[in-house]
Amino acid sequence: MGPFFKTLFGDFHNIAVVAGLVAAETLLLHFGLGRAATVLVPVAAMAGVAWLAARS
Amino acid sequence: MIDWSIAVPSFLTALVEWVEAFTIVLAVSLSIGWRAAIGASLVGLLTLAVLTLAAGQVLATGIDIGWIQLVVGVFLMLFGVRWLAKAIARHAGLKALHDEAIEFAHIRAQLGGAQGRGDWLANWLVAYKGVLLEGLEVWLVVVALGMKTTTGIGLVSSGGAALAALVVTCAVGAAVRAPLQRVPENAIKFTVGAMILAFGTYWTLEGIGGAEVWPWSDATLPALVVFYGVAGLGVARLVRTRAVAEMA
Repeated sequence: MGPFFKTLFGDFHNIAVVAGLVAAETLLLHFGLGRAATVLVPVAAMAGVAWLAARS
Repeated sequence: MIDWSIAVPSFLTALVEWVEAFTIVLAVSLSIGWRAAIGASLVGLLTLAVLTLAAGQVLATGIDIGWIQLVVGVFLMLFGVRWLAKAIARHAGLKALHDEAIEFAHIRAQLGGAQGRGDWLANWLVAYKGVLLEGLEVWLVVVALGMKTTTGIGLVSSGGAALAALVVTCAVGAAVRAPLQRVPENAIKFTVGAMILAFGTYWTLEGIGGAEVWPWSDATLPALVVFYGVAGLGVARLVRTRAVAEMA
């Protein structure tokens, strides 16, 4: 199951970045900050990508 | 009618994965012969076809579109973030570029010759698992991107593009009979990573907040792709500069 899990979800850090992004989206939308989310979420996603790339 | 915004990322994703699967099958074929290696590949593709049908059945049960967008978006983000980060790390020199020739030699060294029945089966399973695992990523992207439209054009575009990539890989592979090294895998992964992450961001936010979240609706997608592409190049440059400075 290991290779299948890794293919579908990636490693723990990858999952953590995406979980953080979804949590941020949920919070921003919950507090009525939908417009801000359309700008902040892509920036946060890029920050997550940069973090994953730097720790490669 | 083809939706090119779906077909292009599907084709590129599939091309990268099929090339990697071809390297595995080629290596295995030297141990157990072409017929057995192709047979293992076909069984792997058949497994993926069954998965596709099963996914279609689940989606046809009338699940709320918001939930589907959210789940599909999360998977696309998982792929997009990973692919873009890997491509940036390779572009910046932090990670070695994926080389099909090295991968081929590595698999050959692991396999050895097929001496008995047990070895034959182990080799066969390597080819089957290789096609299945590489194809699993293709399957996910095809199903996820195919969900962009509810008319069926999406699935036809993404599935057709993946099949086209398979035909191209098989045709070139059969002609060359060697690992397909000239495919610019990292550039493709970078481009596809930006595209998939754009779709993932778009759908997760829309899945949670509804269609009105994005002010420009579908027109936002190209803008997101450009943002991730340009920002990705910037991050690659930054990471490379930092790595060079740390080594000096």
